[in-house]
Amino acid sequence: MKTVLVVDDDVDIRESVGMILRINGYRVITAVDADDCLDKLQSETPDLILLDIMMPGKPITDIVKQVTDIKIVFMSIVRESDAKNKGLCEQSNVVDFLQKPFNLNDLVSKVETLLNKEV
Amino acid sequence: MLIDLDDEGFDLKKLVFSKINRKLTFLFVIVALIAPILGIYYFYIIANSTLSEALFADQGDLIRIVAIAIIVIIAVDAGFVGFFVSRSISKPIKKLYMATKEVEKGNYDIRIDINTNDEIEELGNAFNRTTAALGKMDKERREIDRAKTEFLSITSHELRTPMTPMKAQLQMLEEGYFGKLSKEQKESLSIIIRNADRLDKIIVDFLEISRIEAARLKFDFTRTDLRKIVKDTASFMKGFAKEKNIDLVVNTGKFPLIEVDPDRVSQVLRNLISNAIKFSENNSKIEISAKAKEDHILLSVKDYGYGMTPEDQVRVFEPFYQVDSALRRRHGGTGLGLAICRGIVEAQKGKIWVESIVGEGSTFYFTVPLKPVRKIEPIKVLFSQKSVIERKIREEFKTILGPLGVGEFNELKNKNALSKDDIFEYIDSLTEHYILECDRGLYFKNKIGGIFGDKKGVINNEKDTFIQNG
Repeated sequence: MKTVLVVDDDVDIRESVGMILRINGYRVITAVDADDCLDKLQSETPDLILLDIMMPGKPITDIVKQVTDIKIVFMSIVRESDAKNKGLCEQSNVVDFLQKPFNLNDLVSKVETLLNKEV
Repeated sequence: MLIDLDDEGFDLKKLVFSKINRKLTFLFVIVALIAPILGIYYFYIIANSTLSEALFADQGDLIRIVAIAIIVIIAVDAGFVGFFVSRSISKPIKKLYMATKEVEKGNYDIRIDINTNDEIEELGNAFNRTTAALGKMDKERREIDRAKTEFLSITSHELRTPMTPMKAQLQMLEEGYFGKLSKEQKESLSIIIRNADRLDKIIVDFLEISRIEAARLKFDFTRTDLRKIVKDTASFMKGFAKEKNIDLVVNTGKFPLIEVDPDRVSQVLRNLISNAIKFSENNSKIEISAKAKEDHILLSVKDYGYGMTPEDQVRVFEPFYQVDSALRRRHGGTGLGLAICRGIVEAQKGKIWVESIVGEGSTFYFTVPLKPVRKIEPIKVLFSQKSVIERKIREEFKTILGPLGVGEFNELKNKNALSKDDIFEYIDSLTEHYILECDRGLYFKNKIGGIFGDKKGVINNEKDTFIQNG
């Protein structure tokens, strides 16, 4: 079973995304911010990280810099072009961008294609 | 910032012909002439009566010459003294004048330094205090303005955050993640989802407006074939036009590749086309065209729909302005689309406007400059034309009806009768009761019509009927 790490400071988003992915047959772990995410990565190696790019606390660039071997999908309320302007999408393991509020089917199909390709 | 007169350069002509200089110098010369003339006149009389006749006759010419010479020398001296004394007054006044001009331009940091130790120095100090107070007010106004935009931006982001889990849960329900739904449940759910989408759209529009107002609107300029953008946008919108069987006709001239943000042009076009579709009848057509002009490209979207009154044409770019509330309610939409279009176009120093005739349709125009504007300036989008229009109407009432006009204006305003038709009716009643001559009435109507966006000549037609009616 593939594991997805969902990082978002909003509890309802964590739970909703977690629910959708669990029903679709993934194992889901969650983290509330960058620090928590790095903690979780000590003990877990997820196949994919869904990462909110605007969270209080440590900047997410810390995660992106440290985690180079796991695919990351950004989730954000701002548009992709705005995120790009902030120089966030340059790392090669950042593979996709989910504009919030996302369409359920988009989320599922994105995760599916990303994780199946790896096999 | 201190005013320095020397910066202005030395202008002898200005200096000599300063009115204060002239007046004071003249005054000095007059005073200086009267005193020696009187003095010498008395001396002359005394000399005449005391000196022996022979001696006086002998020395008379010399005395006269010396007397005239003394008078002339004193007059010239007085002129100089007067000139420099007056300059000490006119110089600080000139300083004050230049500082006031700076304030007029909106520079409230200006301070003047006058050390004359008199009333003019006091005036200068008062001026400094006034500009300081004005500067403070201006700063506060800017801060409030910025706070408004900031508030809009933060609120929109905060409002958008809960939309994400809400929509996710709704979609899971809809997709049957939690079990099969009955027909009624599905219907209820689709209404909730539709309105969640609508709410989200409004929030997105608010975010866009906050970006425009804070000059944070992003433009990604690339060399673009605008014709392709127009064609692509039109074919994208064909899907929406199909429902009403509306034909989208694209008509573009030839023009070179220009540097623009294709997404922004497309965004404005999409908005205008979707509006045109909304306000068109079934089975009609919409013409989209692009023409190269001297320093810009002129794009237009023409429909054969309901059209707009002149007042609507002026105010249609205001946020939430309802052209026809019944129509809008039927078609939905946030009421912010055109306001956003205006913001995007004006951020590129372009123009956007509409020409329309009721019952015949409307044409929206906007321009895209051939050279991109990289320095984006803030644009006020959340701004109503209503107060501007009312102020203009009030001015016209005042100029045409005199002091009474303001009272009349207020009365109409209280009755909520400030639409163009209401005012025309009011003017008609004035002419009917011979309070206003026909010519004046027409002039008045022309002025009011102009405020509501009437072109000259529209009302001239009415002139004929007016004359026929006597």
